[in-house]
Amino acid sequence: MATDLRISNISKIYPGCVANDNVSLQFKSGKIYALLGENGAGKSTLVKILSGVISPDNGEVFLNEKNLKLNSPLDAKKNKIGMVFQHFNLFETLSVFENLSIDATEDNKSLRVRINEILKKYNFSIDLDVPVLNLSAGQKQKVEIIRCLLRSPKVLIMDEPTSVLTEQETEELFISLKKFCDEGILIIYITHKLKEVLSLCDEVAVMRKGKVVSVSQTQNEKVETLANKMVGQKLAKIRKKINISKNKDEIFKVKHLNFYSDDPFETNLINLNFSVKKGECLGIAGISGNGQNELFQILSGEIITPDTSIIFRNKEIAKLNPKQRREYLMAFSPEDRISQAAVPELKIFENVALNNFKSSNFFEKGLVNERKIKEHSKKILSDFSVNTDNVELKSQFLSGGNLQKLILGRELITAPELLICYNPTWGLDVGAISYIHETLIKINDQEKSTILISTDTEELLKLSDRIAVIYKGTLSKIMPSEEVTPEKLGVLMGGGSID
Amino acid sequence: MVPLIKIEKRNDVPMALYFFTPFIAIILTILGGGIIFYILGFNPIEALKFYFITPISNLYGLSELLLKATPLCLIAIGLSFCFKSNNWNIGAEGQLTFGAIVGGGVALLFYNQEGFYILPLVILAGAIGGMIFALIPAILKTYFNTNEILVSLMLVYVSKLLLDYLVVGPWSNPEGFNFPETRQFSDSSRMPLLFEGLRIHAGIFLALAAVMLSWFVLYKTYLGFQIKVSGLSLKTAKYAGFKGNTMILVVFMISGACAGLAGVGEITGPIGQLHRMISPDYGFTAIIVAFLGRLNPFGIIFASLVVALTYLGAETAQIFLQIPKYTGQVFQGMILFFLLASDYLLFFKVKILSLKKNELRH
Repeated sequence: MATDLRISNISKIYPGCVANDNVSLQFKSGKIYALLGENGAGKSTLVKILSGVISPDNGEVFLNEKNLKLNSPLDAKKNKIGMVFQHFNLFETLSVFENLSIDATEDNKSLRVRINEILKKYNFSIDLDVPVLNLSAGQKQKVEIIRCLLRSPKVLIMDEPTSVLTEQETEELFISLKKFCDEGILIIYITHKLKEVLSLCDEVAVMRKGKVVSVSQTQNEKVETLANKMVGQKLAKIRKKINISKNKDEIFKVKHLNFYSDDPFETNLINLNFSVKKGECLGIAGISGNGQNELFQILSGEIITPDTSIIFRNKEIAKLNPKQRREYLMAFSPEDRISQAAVPELKIFENVALNNFKSSNFFEKGLVNERKIKEHSKKILSDFSVNTDNVELKSQFLSGGNLQKLILGRELITAPELLICYNPTWGLDVGAISYIHETLIKINDQEKSTILISTDTEELLKLSDRIAVIYKGTLSKIMPSEEVTPEKLGVLMGGGSID
Repeated sequence: MVPLIKIEKRNDVPMALYFFTPFIAIILTILGGGIIFYILGFNPIEALKFYFITPISNLYGLSELLLKATPLCLIAIGLSFCFKSNNWNIGAEGQLTFGAIVGGGVALLFYNQEGFYILPLVILAGAIGGMIFALIPAILKTYFNTNEILVSLMLVYVSKLLLDYLVVGPWSNPEGFNFPETRQFSDSSRMPLLFEGLRIHAGIFLALAAVMLSWFVLYKTYLGFQIKVSGLSLKTAKYAGFKGNTMILVVFMISGACAGLAGVGEITGPIGQLHRMISPDYGFTAIIVAFLGRLNPFGIIFASLVVALTYLGAETAQIFLQIPKYTGQVFQGMILFFLLASDYLLFFKVKILSLKKNELRH
């Protein structure tokens, strides 16, 4: 029997963020659907609604014209909606069979028979009696898929399934998915990888900032067109005055930056080389998860990589930790305001003391100089228009925008020669964003340099003098931003090439 | 109708309540103890009186209370450095034992000598002993990524077996009729007594000094600031560029030195020699003391007195009610669990909802 899944006017609002804005979509069995969007576009919220993990503020879900009440994951299971999450829900120390039998309703004997049938039918080779921890990521995913198949699902939702898979495993997965599709299971495939959409899916819905911005047949799409839809075509209207930086000195130079990690959730970086001139803003674009985290941590000194050379103001600093790099007048503003750049449980002045220079005398002879830190904090609060003057306030009571102003203020008040920031306006309101953009432009006007790692194309085009794109841990060539268009960025961000 | 329990995080926990919950835990422990005594067939009021009041109703009892609280306080102060910075040293008992071995070794060198310099040497040796022993899990953690919980715990048994070997073997008293114990230390290696006829000794000043010093270090120095930040967010500590490995080594050394001092305080104080049973698990009980005192130096003084009372109460109850003295451990366990439970309720609220059957959530 054909399956027809219809989502009608779904909205979900979190404080300060509209995760889903009146989303309506229709899916029919026999096709593989892609749900495409950047991180934070609202894909995961939609999927969580479909799998009953959260309930929408508004809107309805219909399966074969029956209005579904999805109040819990159990409801989704009962209605034969199966879900494979990006992070697996398996007990590592239990065997494959034990994992599958946990929520089964039948006796072990018949369950085993049914599992073996599935294994045979889809050519899965998994030993049912080994502990799950011995399996590869791809095999674990298969166990999750088998768990769904045991319930003969009508709908199978895959959330970023290839992020932990090897090329080979990805191919196998695609073959299986096509088989499921032929058998009449409706497949919804969630991803931000454009090539996968083109090679696997029949129809693609693109989400951006909580809204569905396009629904189309994949055969009519190309990497570039999808990328543009995904990141948005709006060309930045206000663009900073490009610094005439052709003949300026290089202040910062990275050579042979390589990073290898055993963690499947980290991205390896492959031979990055770039430099930043005095007074220049170098933008690094890319869809999140392509190595920005790792790059930021290496530039800040949180991760030290062997054989990398980082020259800053004619000194080799590749082996220095963040504190030592600050002494050379570098400053860092990480993406994660709440658990990295600042500690919410600490008071404002204590968070200010995190950026501690020898010359600032916050800690003379190992003792806390509270008076000095507080004075300094007061100056930051007023210079960077944070909406409080109480340095004893715990930082958790600051809004995101004010916290970011505090962090940027803390990093900038020491007049660094280079500021490295990563998604500095993530999750902020318009007012705070424009304040932070103005601040970043001002730094460049004062002949100080910035490296802006950002997933926001608009922001990059507005602020950067030169732009490069990071994709799967490699860096594209660096382009003067007057030659860059959102289209070009889109292609590079999706893994395509230009010229 | 099916009752449904929903647990939510509380957003704003008042600090006053945070320091008040230990008292709730203690009250609940006393109530729980009463119930246990009742089930065992004792009059609960009378039994609790033997447990918590009789032991400290005279001067000797008070002196014993301070005597037992001294090592607990010292060790817990040291542990608070580790725990505040997210380092889980649970091998204080081993560090205490090793400190006692090294300190005791020095004391035995001078067994037939007198001199004002002997006691300071013994105490110093004990602190260094504890420090060295605590450095083992710290170095393994920083350079080989081992888990300090397992390593520090297992090392407890290493040091206890070493002590066993020494007191029956090379260090056993040649005139001791093969009893598993060393010679008595000379008077110059003994902690001076504070009052004639009471066992309370000068070691208590070491504990008080540790309290003051730790308060200063934790709240007024850069090291203390680094410990605080690391405890709240290791990611931030890394971003700020704190030398994570150095800090791990330092907090373990502080912790080990405190445990070593506690060990040497016991053998040069009430015991006066080395034998197998130099500590009734002070090193483990001090973990409870540290948390009951909220890792705050002054809270730890209070907590060490409360927990010391459970040791005394257990002994009194054994004498007067013929209850095994291991009930002391039952009480210590109850304190910990009631404290953890109160903390849970402090940070999370439990909502009981009623749902119709067809709305039953997974």
